[in-house]
Amino acid sequence: MSDKHVYLSAAWRDEALRRLQSELPPEKMNNITTSMSNIYKNCPGGADMFLFIECIDGKVTRVETGTTGAPDGEFKITGDYETFARISRAELGSQKALFTGKLKLKGNMAKALKLASLADRINKVLSQIPTEY
Amino acid sequence: MARILDPKDPYYIDNPGRVKSIQAEMQKRNIDVYLGSRVRTMSFILDAFCPWRSYIIIPAEGLPTLFTFVIDAVRIGDETWLDEDHVRAYAPMGGMDQISALSEFIKDDLGVTSGRIGYEDGVSTYTAEGNLTHWEFSHLNDALPGFEWINAHDIIDGLSIIKDRGTIERFRKASLIVDEGHKAARAALENGGFKGMTETVIAGIAALAMRKAGSVSEWNFAGLNEISSGYRTGLGACTPPTNRVIQAGEPLMLDFHSMFQLALGDHSHNYLIGPATDRQRWHADNFVALVSTVLDNYKAGASPSSLAEILLDCAESRGCADFIVPGCEHGIGLFGDEWRIGATADGPIPYWTDPDHVYRENEMVVCAMQYQSPEEGIGFRYENDILILKDGCEFMSKYPLGIEEIK
Repeated sequence: MSDKHVYLSAAWRDEALRRLQSELPPEKMNNITTSMSNIYKNCPGGADMFLFIECIDGKVTRVETGTTGAPDGEFKITGDYETFARISRAELGSQKALFTGKLKLKGNMAKALKLASLADRINKVLSQIPTEY
Repeated sequence: MARILDPKDPYYIDNPGRVKSIQAEMQKRNIDVYLGSRVRTMSFILDAFCPWRSYIIIPAEGLPTLFTFVIDAVRIGDETWLDEDHVRAYAPMGGMDQISALSEFIKDDLGVTSGRIGYEDGVSTYTAEGNLTHWEFSHLNDALPGFEWINAHDIIDGLSIIKDRGTIERFRKASLIVDEGHKAARAALENGGFKGMTETVIAGIAALAMRKAGSVSEWNFAGLNEISSGYRTGLGACTPPTNRVIQAGEPLMLDFHSMFQLALGDHSHNYLIGPATDRQRWHADNFVALVSTVLDNYKAGASPSSLAEILLDCAESRGCADFIVPGCEHGIGLFGDEWRIGATADGPIPYWTDPDHVYRENEMVVCAMQYQSPEEGIGFRYENDILILKDGCEFMSKYPLGIEEIK
């Protein structure tokens, strides 16, 4: 059996929640309450997928993945599967992906600016998950 | 954290009430969404200093939402009365550029997918006016198919022309601050203090005094405090200060600007640096008489053209008509609202002051008069925020009118 989890699978999702909760205590998340829905376009197989992360008072409370019914988040980030995959593999910075238009952000930009460093922390944790893309 | 509006504050402005008044006008014109882009519109609605390109989206009901350059959004959010959810930003990011942020907000957040959009267009002498550019309009039009675009800036212009109590109080305060600048400048010039002093230095001395008195900006983009000395006093009505040294025997014009809670203090005062010639004194006395005559005639019912006639008649009677600029005022409001008199843009020459605009009580203008004889190297300027009253006007700067000779 492979040690790697398939990206965005149920097993990957559970591992993501476990790692985020253990490695990012509320104080490291600035005790923030927010949520983010990432929409993955052009996934392998053709369907769109989503990754939803919710944080309440700094604690990561929900990580959800799936193909339909993405929960509404305070922020919505849309991009190609490959762009998200490159970010998760630490091959591409999320800021650069946004600044070059590879990712499209929807939500209050002024608030998003305050959360940029937190999103980076989340991405760093997720990039450590042994993943099969 | 957003500012809490306090009706007991002497400088209180009912910004939510202003929004409701705008929405009532929108309803009359069947406008579903108003997209404001002018600096004056931001000041009027947000009551915050918005120096970067900004847009305000006003729905048919509910609170407006600001979109400003991302670097300044948090600061504006701290200063305006709107809450954090209604102070947003645009940025060079996917989905966050100006066109995407505005069009998607209208479609997705407001849920308006067709109808009439009011926007702000026109022409101005004022560089910083902020009308929607052709590029912005074209791309928004493409991003929002099915909408009809209506130039509707006159909604804001009409609502902002009569000043409310808080706005008037702010102008009074801004004008008293300018007076502190003039006192400091006068003190610096006397007893030979002018010797070796440049126009820029006297501008800075006044700026410091006004800042100490509560001003946050010398707001005028034509050089902040405008100063002219010697022959430069005869060069017209825009004189950013230079490194020219103030000289004995020359005129000196000091035009100071203060800003207090977005209200714009604007007062010009003139000197003759002694020894003055009889001809200089004659010009100076003419100018003081002209200003005094015009100020005596500002009141509700007067118009720019009626005041210009009074000015010309007085100048003719004194034999100095060749030296006057035939106009007496420019418009004034909160930051960004400068120059044009009145609210309509359909006077004889579009987007210029309508010469027959009839002043009403509680309207404000800057009485602005320029006298110049470039051949003789002399000129004077008078400016003062004034409030139109039923039977006269209130000069907001209390600095005494006169042209004193500094020995």
